[in-house]
Amino acid sequence: MIAELINPYYLQVASFMLINIILGISVYITLSTGQLSLANAGFMGIGAYTSALLTIHFELPIVVGIIAGALVAAICGILIGIPTLRLQGVYLAIVTLGFGEVIRVVFVNWETLTNGSVGISGIPHIGREILSTLQGFGFNPSMLGLQNNQFIFLSIFTLLLLVTIFIIWFFRRQHSSRVGRAFAAIKLDEKAAESMGINITYYKVLAFAQGALVAGFAGAMYAHILAYISPADFAYHRAVEILIFVVFGGSEVIWGPVFGAFFLTLMPEVLRFISEYRYMIYGLIIIIMMAVRPQGLIDVNMLNWFKRKRVKGGHKHGAGNQKGM
Amino acid sequence: MKGMFKKLVGVTAFSSLLFLSACGGNSEQAGGDSEGASDGKVKADVGVVSFITGSGAAYGEAIKGGLELAKEEINEKGDVELNLIFEDSAGKQDQALTAAQKLINSDNVTAIIGPTLSTEMNVVGPEADLSGVPIIGTSTTAEGIPQIGDYVFRNSIPEALAIPASMEKAIEKYDAKKVALIYGNDDVFTKSGFDTMKATAEKMGLEILTTETFQKGQSDYNAQLTKIKSYKPDLILASALYNEGAVIMDQARKMGIDVPFVGGNGFNSPEVIKIAGDSSDGLIVATPWYGEKEDPKVQGFVKKFKEKYGNDPDQFAAQAYDALYILADAIKNAGEADRDKVRDALAETKDFEGILGNFSFDEEGDVIMDPTVLVIEDGEFVVFE
Repeated sequence: MIAELINPYYLQVASFMLINIILGISVYITLSTGQLSLANAGFMGIGAYTSALLTIHFELPIVVGIIAGALVAAICGILIGIPTLRLQGVYLAIVTLGFGEVIRVVFVNWETLTNGSVGISGIPHIGREILSTLQGFGFNPSMLGLQNNQFIFLSIFTLLLLVTIFIIWFFRRQHSSRVGRAFAAIKLDEKAAESMGINITYYKVLAFAQGALVAGFAGAMYAHILAYISPADFAYHRAVEILIFVVFGGSEVIWGPVFGAFFLTLMPEVLRFISEYRYMIYGLIIIIMMAVRPQGLIDVNMLNWFKRKRVKGGHKHGAGNQKGM
Repeated sequence: MKGMFKKLVGVTAFSSLLFLSACGGNSEQAGGDSEGASDGKVKADVGVVSFITGSGAAYGEAIKGGLELAKEEINEKGDVELNLIFEDSAGKQDQALTAAQKLINSDNVTAIIGPTLSTEMNVVGPEADLSGVPIIGTSTTAEGIPQIGDYVFRNSIPEALAIPASMEKAIEKYDAKKVALIYGNDDVFTKSGFDTMKATAEKMGLEILTTETFQKGQSDYNAQLTKIKSYKPDLILASALYNEGAVIMDQARKMGIDVPFVGGNGFNSPEVIKIAGDSSDGLIVATPWYGEKEDPKVQGFVKKFKEKYGNDPDQFAAQAYDALYILADAIKNAGEADRDKVRDALAETKDFEGILGNFSFDEEGDVIMDPTVLVIEDGEFVVFE
């Protein structure tokens, strides 16, 4: 029964959805200090290439590769974060966009390492590695009544789901912590925040590094799920796509990018039945969204409205919980 | 804290439910009639992953046209009854992979044709191979595609076959010894074409005077061409797609470079003549497809295609057309729509006479055939001799 429900196709879509959610969150983090970064596609590429090269050339376990990929991306985040601190708004966006392109051009031209624009194939596939590891312990997917490929995609999905839940949980916690309040203060007014004693250099670089870390992680996962990467995957289009998740869903609360990535990844798949018209509808939805709700679909007011409804409905525990989500 | 976590789990569960219900609709239509043979006819579902929307939609449309035409003819003949299921990849690897997953798992197709780009095939190929679904690329020309696995085939002539063929003929005729290379280094297609050109030139003992690069969408090539001109090459090897390639030729001719150009597969398009006009004379390309060939099969195809779609078929349409015939042949020989049996029958394809010419798979599933070498003369592609 369960075995029939598990279709690798759905799991595949769900996995990409989760990766996009993580990418959306990475932009949201930097945005929560008021910095618009378009470098996240570049950080994603750094994570993907680092992990892919480490696991291929040094035969490191995938877990080590992914962690290394995320960390290298975070270090790059700090390096790019410090010099761009003076920039704001559209100027920062331009510089980070340039950085993303530089990363791509490096991947294209550093042929001895990255194989140029042909890309790297034969990257260890995370699901297949999990399966073969478990098989080493005498486990067989047929014990659960699953086929091998069902198990492979189920394991990827589960892993990503756990990580996504952890990331959402972490940043929700952070949002209502000292760090989160500092981020919010900087976003509202940098000068005021500084005069209140907030070290804005530290917090802005921290936000940048966190965003890069998360994007690098998503990139590394992407590399190990597709088993093939090329520089074109991390170009300008990707940066814009990630930004759209956040703009569409709303950048005020973490549920915005989560919903945006969820909806906009699902849309082209659901619309498959109208084949060539699907991207027209996709575009149309975004245009309507921007005209009707420029702040994004989900914002604080909407969440509060939901909460009030729930309180009226008789749930008591939400009553005192009016702090912004 | 606990409450928040609960909510979080709740939202996640809800969203996955929403997702499942949203996608659940199409799972019913799969299976059933796809397998089994009634009254001697073999029925089979064939999935197609193609680049139908986005910048490369012209390729996807041509492929779709070729396949539809072949399907009608095959079904009319009545040995096999094919049902094509088209899925769009938008030219992206992740989209191509989900499309293939849908075809393999939800639609239970017997075989897959596509995807359009080699980059997509690098992602889809291993997955199809692991799932045991035969997959035929009709436009994937990069190195190493059929080597992905036993279930991966292609009928598009690889660069490694096309480029040496055109280079050999050109060098023989013009007695060239010194060549200059120019290629786009940020595109998989042109980069892999360049690698083949360079390897072939070295193997033939040609002197490579200079190697110049350009980027996609560039419009001014004077710097590269001035340098090339100063070396006075006998021949220019250009690995470019037709839109950039045509501009390069135009600017080269204006600068007074009048040596012939040898191009890769991406340079082979009637568009070159449209864009560059007279400057395109002297472009030599090898192609699997030549629409002027005096073969009743070829002329029949060109006529039917033109009647149906109103334009001349290009190589993508022709390759897709032949691919479906090869697949139908294999399904007929296999006797049933079984993935493994179809794969075995495909691997045995030998001396298939299609509109592209005599065609066989080698043991890896790669192409064995002789490409036709063409040259542009007075604004028209003619056979190069």
